[in-house]
Amino acid sequence: MTTKDIHTQIEGYHRVLDDVKSAQRYGTDYRIMKGEVARVLDLLHPRRLDLRVSEVIIETPSTKTLRMVSETGYLPPFEAGQYINLFVETAGVRTSRPYSISSAPGMTAYYDITVRRQQGGFVSEYLLETVKPGDRFESSGPAGQFRYNPLIHGRELVFIAGGSGITPFMSMIRETTDRGLDRSIHLLYGNRLEGDIIFHRELKERAERHKNFIYTPVISEPSKKCSELTGLISGDLMKKVLRSVEGKNFFLCGPGALYDYCMPELEKLGVPLHRVRREMFGSPVDITSDPGWPGEVKKGTRFTVKVKGKGDLSALAEESLLVSLERGGYAVPALCRSGECSLCRVKLLSGKVYQPRGAHVRASDLKYGYIHSCAAYPLSDCEVLL
Amino acid sequence: MNNYDVVVIGAGNGGLTAAATLAKQGLNTLLLERHNIPGGCATSFCRGRFEFEVALHQLSGMGNPSFPGPLRSMLDSLGVVNEIEWVEMKNLYRVVVPGKMDITLPANRKGFTDALIEKFPNEKEGIAAFIDLVYRFFTEVIGAFYMRDPEISPQKYPLYFKYALADTQTIMDEYLKDPFLKLAISVYWSYVGAPPRLLAFTEYAAMIFAYIEFKPYHMKHGSQVLSNALVDSFIKNGGDVRFNCGAKKILTGQGRVAGVVLDTGEEITAPYVISNASPMATCGEMLDREHQNEEFFRQMGGHSIGPSAYTLYIGLDCPHGDLGITETTNFICTHTDMDRSFTEMKMRDNEPGQMLLTCYNVSDPDASPPGTTQIALVDLKYGEPWLSVPPHQYYDYKYLYGDKMLSVVEGLIPGFRAHIEEVEVATPLTHMRYLNTPAGSIYGFNQFIRDSRVFGALDPGIPGLYFAGAWAGGGGFQPTLMSGGSAARAVAKKIRQERG
Repeated sequence: MTTKDIHTQIEGYHRVLDDVKSAQRYGTDYRIMKGEVARVLDLLHPRRLDLRVSEVIIETPSTKTLRMVSETGYLPPFEAGQYINLFVETAGVRTSRPYSISSAPGMTAYYDITVRRQQGGFVSEYLLETVKPGDRFESSGPAGQFRYNPLIHGRELVFIAGGSGITPFMSMIRETTDRGLDRSIHLLYGNRLEGDIIFHRELKERAERHKNFIYTPVISEPSKKCSELTGLISGDLMKKVLRSVEGKNFFLCGPGALYDYCMPELEKLGVPLHRVRREMFGSPVDITSDPGWPGEVKKGTRFTVKVKGKGDLSALAEESLLVSLERGGYAVPALCRSGECSLCRVKLLSGKVYQPRGAHVRASDLKYGYIHSCAAYPLSDCEVLL
Repeated sequence: MNNYDVVVIGAGNGGLTAAATLAKQGLNTLLLERHNIPGGCATSFCRGRFEFEVALHQLSGMGNPSFPGPLRSMLDSLGVVNEIEWVEMKNLYRVVVPGKMDITLPANRKGFTDALIEKFPNEKEGIAAFIDLVYRFFTEVIGAFYMRDPEISPQKYPLYFKYALADTQTIMDEYLKDPFLKLAISVYWSYVGAPPRLLAFTEYAAMIFAYIEFKPYHMKHGSQVLSNALVDSFIKNGGDVRFNCGAKKILTGQGRVAGVVLDTGEEITAPYVISNASPMATCGEMLDREHQNEEFFRQMGGHSIGPSAYTLYIGLDCPHGDLGITETTNFICTHTDMDRSFTEMKMRDNEPGQMLLTCYNVSDPDASPPGTTQIALVDLKYGEPWLSVPPHQYYDYKYLYGDKMLSVVEGLIPGFRAHIEEVEVATPLTHMRYLNTPAGSIYGFNQFIRDSRVFGALDPGIPGLYFAGAWAGGGGFQPTLMSGGSAARAVAKKIRQERG
C-alpha cells in the first residue's frame, strides 16, 4: 500500500478531506498579506527613524534640548523613560549615543532629547556646538527598560535624578500630570549649582498645579542666596522630605556617583532592593578605575584587535571594543551602549577582555565566548567574529 | 567566498538543526539570522539580576541515555547533548481550578493513572481504559510508522485506522464523565493550541505517550544554551554564520533556486535554500511573483495562522517555597470549558480561563540567583485582535491583560504580586517583533485535524527550496528541532544524488 492508500482507509478520511477542500476553497490567499508584518512592526517598533531638528532650545548654559520631528511625519509610540539611540558622524567616526526622550509620550509630533555637555564627550560637544534646526539624524526606534510598569510599581513613586539624569523623569512627570494618571511622584533632583538645574521653572510650575507631583531640588554647592535644600540626597534628607518610604517605588537616574552614594543611603532607610530601579547611564567615565580592573594593564595601552575575515585595528585598553570597532570603520549594531541590550554582541575568538560587573550577558553567551562589545575592554590582543 | 551549497535563512530551532546537520555532512553552508542572537523562540533575555527563558517549558522526546527519545538521538548526532546539563522533571503537571480541583500527575504511566483514579474514584474503569487506549493506539503508530512496517493495514493496526483522525473530545466523552477529569487529562492541548474538540487523537496520544515515556526536560541556563551549542557545532564543522543579517530575496535561475540576496544587497549563490522563515515571507515576499507556485498558495490557503501568546516573565524576590509553589508546571484554570478557553484565545479583554505557570526553580535550583524564583506565566492568544490596536494606544493595552492574569494567580498564591521584582510583558505583537511571523504566531499554522500531514505536506513548488520550523513541521521545540534535521537530510540526499 502506498502512503496515500493507507491514509484513505483511516476512518473519517473522506469527511475530513471535504473539510480540507472547503478550507482551501474559502481560505486565505496569503499573497495579499505581502508586507503586512513589516507594516505593523514599522508602526510600533521601527528599526530606524529619520529625524530632523526642528528647534534647538537652550535649557541652561551647558544644556540644550533638540526637538526632533520625523521626516516621514510619523513617530512611533514609546513608554515614558525610554530612549532613542542617535547616530552621529563626527571627526570621521560614525558612532551613536542613547538619549532619553524628555517629551511626553502623548506628544506625538516630536521627540525632545536633552543634551548636557559631558567632560571629554566628543558627541555631546558636537551636538551642542554645531547642531542647528534643519539638521538630519538617523536614530533607533525607542527602547529601554527604565519605565513605569503598572503591574508592580504601584501608585507612589520617588524619582531621584542627578544632572542630566532628569531627562527620562521629565517624560514620566509630563505624562503623569498631563494625563491625570492615578499615581503620585516625588522628585528629588540633585545638581551642583542652582544654574545647572534643567527644567527648573517647568518642574516648579507643574508641582504648583498638580497635587500628585512634589518637586524637591537639592543643591550640593549652593550660592549664598540659594533657597533650595542643600547637600547631597542622603538618607536623612529623604526621610525628612518623604516622611515614609513604606510601599514606595524608587527610580534612580544619574551619573555613577549618584548610584554609589544613594544606593547605600536607600538601604539604610530600609528600602528593599526590588523597589529600586536604576537607569543604565552609558559607559563609565574611566574604566581603569573600576574596582575589578587588572592593575597591570595601564591606561593608554594599545592592543591589536583582529576582525575575523575582515582585517584588524588598534584598540586602546580604556575604550570599549565597540568604540574601537567604530573608530576602525566597522559597522556594529548598537543600541543601549551600556551592556544591557546585547545588540552589539560579538564572539570573542581569542584574547582577553575586561567585562565590568552589571553587563547583562547571558550565561550561555559567557560559556560560548560571546561578549557585549560596548561593555568589553581589551586586555590583550584579541580576535573577534562580527 | 559567496558560493555555498546551501543557505539557511533563519536561526530558529529548525534553521539551527538544519544548518548543523548540513555542516556535519560536510556541506558548505551559510546560516543567516536577522536578529543579533540565534534561537528564535529558543532564547533568553536579561532583566535586572534575572535571565528569563523565553519559550521552553517542557522539552519532549529527549529520554535518557539508556532509553533515548528521537530528539536526544538527533541532538547527539550533532554533538550537542553533552554540552548541556539536562534537567528531568518528575511530574508532568499540576492542574488547579481554585477551590474546586487540585491534582498533580506524575511522569510515569502508573503514577499518572493512580493520581487520576484517586481523585475520581467513580471513574476508575474509564480512566484505566482511556489511558490503555492511548498506549495501545500509540504503540500501533510506532509499529507502523516509526518502525516503517512495509505492510500497514487496518487489520494489523485497527486502532490507528479507527482513531487517527478522530477528535480527542469525542473519545474522551466515550470513556470519561466528569468535566474536571477531562480537563485534568487533556490540559496539554495548549501545547498545540487546539482544544480537544479540534485536536486529532494522534496528536494527543503522541503528546501523552512522549511526555510520560521520555519525561519532560529542561536545561540549565535555558534554551539559549541549546541554540548557542548548535551554532558552535555548526561553526566547528566549517559553517559560516551571519547575525544581524537577513535575506530579502531568493534568487532563481533555470527554474530552480540559485541563491539569496542579503539585506545589505550582497548576492550569495547557492543551489539550495532551507527557509526557517514563515512560508508567507519565504514564498510571498522573497520569491518573485513569477516563481510563486499557484498550487502551493492554494494549499497553504487552507491552513490558518496559529496562536501567539501573552506572556509574563516574572522574577520573584523570594524562594518559590515561601509562596508554596511546589510544581514546575502548573495549569491554572478558572473553569473547565476548554472550548470556551479556545474562543477566548481570540479575545483581548476576557477573564483568563486557562494559563500556564512554569516555575523553573522547582526542577532547577539554578534557574535564578539564590533566594529568587523565575516564573513564566503564559496564556495562548491569537495575534489578530492585537493587530487593530492603534499604535499610540498600544502601551495602554499592553499591561491590562497581564493585570487580570496576576489577579487570578494572586487568588491562588496570596502575596505573589508583592514579591515580583521584575516582570516583562510579551504580547502577541512582541512575539511578532522578535519572530517576524504573521500575527506573531508561535506555533506556525493551526494544528487542527484538517491540518494533519495525512493530507499532504506543503511543497513550495520550486526545486531547491525547503522549509524548516513550526510552519513546516508543527509548533513546539521537538517538532521544530526535528524538522530542521529532516529538511537537511532531504537536501543532503539530493546533493549526493547530483554528485553521484
